[in-house]
Amino acid sequence: MRQLKVWLLYTSNSFAQTLANRFMTGIFILSKILRIALFLLFLIFVFQGTQSLAGFTRDQIIFFYLSFNLIDTLASLFFREVYRFRQTVIRGDLDLILIQPVHPLIRVLLGGADVLDAFIFFIILGFTVWFGTVHFSLSPFRWLAYFSLILGSLLIAAAFHIAVLCLGILTTSVDHLIMIYRDLTSLMRIPADVYSQPFRSVLTFVIPLAVMYTFPPKALLGLLSPAVISVSVLAGFILLLLSLRFWNYSLRHYQSASS
Amino acid sequence: MRKYFTVFAASWQDEFTYRLNFILWRFRNVLRFLMTYFLWQGLFSATSTIYGYSRPDMVAYIFLVLIVQAAITSAPSADNIGGEIGSGDLSNYLLKPMSYLRFWFTRDLASKSLNLLFSFIEITLLWLLLRPALSFHYSFFSVFGFVASGLFAMVIYFLVSASARFTSFWYPENTWGLSFLILIFIEIFSGSIFPLDVLPPAGQIILQATPFPYLIYYPISILDGKITGLYLWRILFQSASWTLLLLIFTRFLWRKGLRVFGAEGN
Repeated sequence: MRQLKVWLLYTSNSFAQTLANRFMTGIFILSKILRIALFLLFLIFVFQGTQSLAGFTRDQIIFFYLSFNLIDTLASLFFREVYRFRQTVIRGDLDLILIQPVHPLIRVLLGGADVLDAFIFFIILGFTVWFGTVHFSLSPFRWLAYFSLILGSLLIAAAFHIAVLCLGILTTSVDHLIMIYRDLTSLMRIPADVYSQPFRSVLTFVIPLAVMYTFPPKALLGLLSPAVISVSVLAGFILLLLSLRFWNYSLRHYQSASS
Repeated sequence: MRKYFTVFAASWQDEFTYRLNFILWRFRNVLRFLMTYFLWQGLFSATSTIYGYSRPDMVAYIFLVLIVQAAITSAPSADNIGGEIGSGDLSNYLLKPMSYLRFWFTRDLASKSLNLLFSFIEITLLWLLLRPALSFHYSFFSVFGFVASGLFAMVIYFLVSASARFTSFWYPENTWGLSFLILIFIEIFSGSIFPLDVLPPAGQIILQATPFPYLIYYPISILDGKITGLYLWRILFQSASWTLLLLIFTRFLWRKGLRVFGAEGN
């Protein structure tokens, strides 16, 4: 409960810091919405010249893209602080975090929640639910499976972000790691089925981005069996546990070289 | 001039010092390529032509995008100028006997040359891995036009990103805002995801009035022989005009910005 209070405090501070500059906040929100809208328009436009993409109709591809943005924004909302972690390690500020009586991940993983992504998340959520309801006939069970898998996606995203933090501790010479994660996830703006083998298998089993981004909309469209849905959610928990073990391992090897 | 050669050489050394960083940066570009490549491959699985492009035409286009992006959009200036203004580190440069803009442009050129070199290696590897059918149509004049438009594109990119970063003079605590917006426009409207002639004619005319298509789409279209004769000269003239306009605008912002620069953080 105390950890939750600390997280809420960090979050309210982070929100207040971002909202202090209203003009730039407006520019950022506009930019993010524009980026989503422009790629969406591109997909709609390109479908005027063809019938399907990897067997999916235009509406299905749009739904995949909306779901990608929903999950991506949710992960950015919670884990934005990871983008600043390398500087924290280089300056030696991690020492100050480690001695505090709170779990360090509350600070370095969850401590900088992004209010801009919070705004955008609710906009995309509304649009995605509206689009899904209008274009597909869906049962409440399908929606339940969809949101369960999104929860699983958030767990996998947490595991990825923790792994990036660990690598940031073990090697301070790399500053692109989180951006590589961003670029990898941007492959999922289109469903993993579009990629040919062996890329598709890599994206499903090695770096489970397909599980994160393609499986939830597939479940909603009735293209996944209940067994696959259960295993996918379970995979999220397992990856999170493994990443926490990796975190403990990296902390044991932290040298505090900069402080 | 010699001092800028020194900056160029030092920048190369800097890039080689952080080799893993550089390799990962190139890896990111390959990831971006893969998304575009497979998207178009998927679209072409259902049809033989899309908006006049055959599959080999489109694959050749996105391979060329990888090369042109290496030469145009790899620019350390875009990552540093805003931060240096915001943190007050700009003061250190102002004391040195060199132009701040020329210093960063030289560093950009060093980065571009290295990235260009590596992009050829990546393209070879990607071609060996994917084995796509490619279609190129180029001539002596198209290569000349490509080089000229590519040089304009480098300067245009530098000036666009520098002027966006100069907002840090007025908002030193936020060095990223306007640049983010500009990057989104560049991502969609420069032609890095799709060739802009698939857009309706009205859309293409509107885009001509912005600097974005001159960065990637026009250089590639010129090389591919789609833009020839008088049209080629017109596009080169428009590129030169954008370069000049942006140069005037950037210098104007620089002078205005220096007046309000308070070296906060130093």
